[in-house]
Amino acid sequence: MTPASTLKIMKSDSSLTRREFVGKSAGAAAAFAVFSSPKSHAAPPSSKVVIGVMGLGGRGSYLAQAFANRPDTDIAYICDVDTRRFARTRDAVEEAQGKAPKQVQDFRRILEDKSVDVLINATPDHWHAPASIMACQAGKDVYVEKPMTHTAWEGRKMIEAAQNHKRIIQVGMQSRTAKYTNDAAEYIRSGKLGDVHVVRVFNLMRHAARKPASGAPVPVPAGYDHDLWCGPAPLLPYDPGRRWLDRWEYSCGAIAGDAVHQLDLARLLMGDPAFPDTVVHAGGVNVLTDGREVPDTQMVTYEYGQRILLFEAALWTPYMTKTPQLRRDKGEMPNWPFNATRIEVLGTKGFMYFGRHGDGWQVFNEKAESVISVPGRQADKEHQNNFIECVRTRKQPIANVTQGHYSAMLSHLANISFRVGNRKLSFDAATETFKGAPDANQFLRRTYRAPWSISDAV
Amino acid sequence: MIVGASARERARRDGTRTGRGPGRGGALFARAGVVVTALLAPLALAARAQWLPITVVNVDAATTEVAGTFTSIQYELTAPGLSPLSPAYVFVRYSLDGGAHWSLVSPHQLRGDHDIVASPGRKKILWWGSDQLGLGAETVDLKVSVRGIRMVRVPGGVFTARMQPSGGFDDSQARVETATLPTFHLAKFETTVGMYADYLNEVGRNGRGWNRLMANPERCGIQRQEDGTYTVAPGRENHPVNYVSWYEAQAFLDWCGLRLPTELEWLKTMRGGLYLDGDEARRVRNPKPERKYPWGDESPEAGELWRCNCDVADRNRVPQLQPVGSFNHYNSPYGACDLAGNVAEWTLDPYATSYHNGIDGYRMIRGGSYMDPPAGCDALAGASQLPVKRGSITGFRGLRNSPR
Repeated sequence: MTPASTLKIMKSDSSLTRREFVGKSAGAAAAFAVFSSPKSHAAPPSSKVVIGVMGLGGRGSYLAQAFANRPDTDIAYICDVDTRRFARTRDAVEEAQGKAPKQVQDFRRILEDKSVDVLINATPDHWHAPASIMACQAGKDVYVEKPMTHTAWEGRKMIEAAQNHKRIIQVGMQSRTAKYTNDAAEYIRSGKLGDVHVVRVFNLMRHAARKPASGAPVPVPAGYDHDLWCGPAPLLPYDPGRRWLDRWEYSCGAIAGDAVHQLDLARLLMGDPAFPDTVVHAGGVNVLTDGREVPDTQMVTYEYGQRILLFEAALWTPYMTKTPQLRRDKGEMPNWPFNATRIEVLGTKGFMYFGRHGDGWQVFNEKAESVISVPGRQADKEHQNNFIECVRTRKQPIANVTQGHYSAMLSHLANISFRVGNRKLSFDAATETFKGAPDANQFLRRTYRAPWSISDAV
Repeated sequence: MIVGASARERARRDGTRTGRGPGRGGALFARAGVVVTALLAPLALAARAQWLPITVVNVDAATTEVAGTFTSIQYELTAPGLSPLSPAYVFVRYSLDGGAHWSLVSPHQLRGDHDIVASPGRKKILWWGSDQLGLGAETVDLKVSVRGIRMVRVPGGVFTARMQPSGGFDDSQARVETATLPTFHLAKFETTVGMYADYLNEVGRNGRGWNRLMANPERCGIQRQEDGTYTVAPGRENHPVNYVSWYEAQAFLDWCGLRLPTELEWLKTMRGGLYLDGDEARRVRNPKPERKYPWGDESPEAGELWRCNCDVADRNRVPQLQPVGSFNHYNSPYGACDLAGNVAEWTLDPYATSYHNGIDGYRMIRGGSYMDPPAGCDALAGASQLPVKRGSITGFRGLRNSPR
């Protein structure tokens, strides 16, 4: 384990919950292709990478501060639909870089500024793809939070936008960058576990049921642009008690909200396969019956040929524990059976526990004896380093847009299986559609609320 | 041996009296040989938001046959305008080793003019049982400090609690229509740089409670010297202290016997109860019990006035903190200053909603700051912040429950 005090400070921030976000409508026509295809430049090594941050919730504020603390980047803009969110991030950014960022309510002001190199997109799920595609079209590289997309179709469009406009997209799946992760993948590749036929992924949380939204009309607070917050999603009446993470209009649900990190890691450990052949979901809103649309219980089986990826997610398991912040990166093995975010890799010769949050990994042989224990360390800073390096070199980043699409798809496929009645579905990788399931295919793409849209040609 | 008697005897022998009146932050130390000395709160208190002016201190002790020892502390509180609605909070700290280490005297041990003091003049505190704390030892070098903070009284009763906080709204509180709170007293002003520097000079010789961000003379201005003492940059004494974490704010308030207000207490001070004189009297109706700002519903910059220190539309203006009380024509119904703008203020409450139960320790801050737009400074706007965070936009003030 490598001690790193600076990193620890950042880690303490990395627990910040991400909620809300972003920009402003201003009523202008807002098709995503409004920006002419721009300069295809890489920031010269001698200059700072100029960044605008969209979405100042917990995660966006953290990223703004993290990049503001770097000597090679400059936070030129911070942006949120809720102007009441500016001060906290503005203060910290100014403190870190000695210069105040501009504050804008509408992210398009960032995209219009040709001096900006990068858009950091830390918005709710429904804004990830639309704003990222607009940023690519405007000549910006993008660091977008996970899940990369809100629908399956958006993932392909983001790949095309990045390719067409020669843009770098890094997805905030930072666990993929950690050294211990890649060491584990190499261990599996070496054959020491034998043939891997089953990988189990867990995301067992302790959430409380929430109070139902009041439903009573509430005036939109001054300084907050609710229309732009909803953006391409339906414009629901403002209700501060509504939780966007529980609604399909704005969210992909609990899997995408957190477990996508483990699903992405599981794909990495499996050698980064693209799409599963089949998916079947069991579960629903079984415990936290508080009006939410997205399931609180999700048991999913994905088939990749002869290999099976099993996923178990629940939000009502108080005995399960995410490794606490203070115990991360300490070189300790977690109490695996009650570790809420573990992965289990089952080979014909050995068994591997793998933990997110720098929990490390441990392998057991045929006699159930531990044969190797490798501590881990999280990699937020390394992930950011990798992004800035790729902005300069134009190399593909570690969590690039393609990997972001494949990992987000695991969320979408499971959710769609649930939404068509927990039915087993076969997926055609070539067309990225379900075979013989028009009812399922309708969920692959959403309708965007005018004036927002994503055209087929991005 | 009794401390007071010893002191009196020695004073008589040496021809001195126990101490009186210091300069700023200093003690009126008696001549060498006098054991009992008194550390006064600063005299240079023309500044309205520093410690209240306490100008005369006399410390003495005596023994009663039945009840043991008491220490008598006399002081002169000269602050103008003290009243039951705007009283002083007076607290006593003491050192047994000549000022190296200090402790707060529990208000439960004190009788007389301490805690909430509603009028100026000559005051007296009796400190019963002081010998139980070790004051009776022969070698004790007792020092006593008496300090006062201007408070406002918030009478008990019901108020409109409905809010729609942002930046981490608490949906459970958003549903609360009204709430009833008992009487309490809240500091009239945000805790100032000068007050916090005094605190550091007493407890922070090892650097605890201070951080390098505070040294910036344009933002805070508390500078740590090589000998471990603290000085304040010129002109910064009456600015609100900032760059304090929630824990550091709480430590300061523990030091003087106060605590942070809850969100509801903070909000009631801003809006006022349904009756401004409280539910027992019910004579003065609050004309605007759901007011958006301390002064009413007008936006801070309406009518080309500037009612609080927030970031108004003029983007060419560099936002700066202002001395506390700079907008004292726009106070809350109870007279509290700067509840909107200047520094946002830590509250006692964790950020907890039905879907985010506060396990990572976020605390709520209220009131918005000099970097916030007007909408960020209203009664509805709250924000969550990690309690370890130190920012230029965040400060605090103390609350005292209604005494006795």
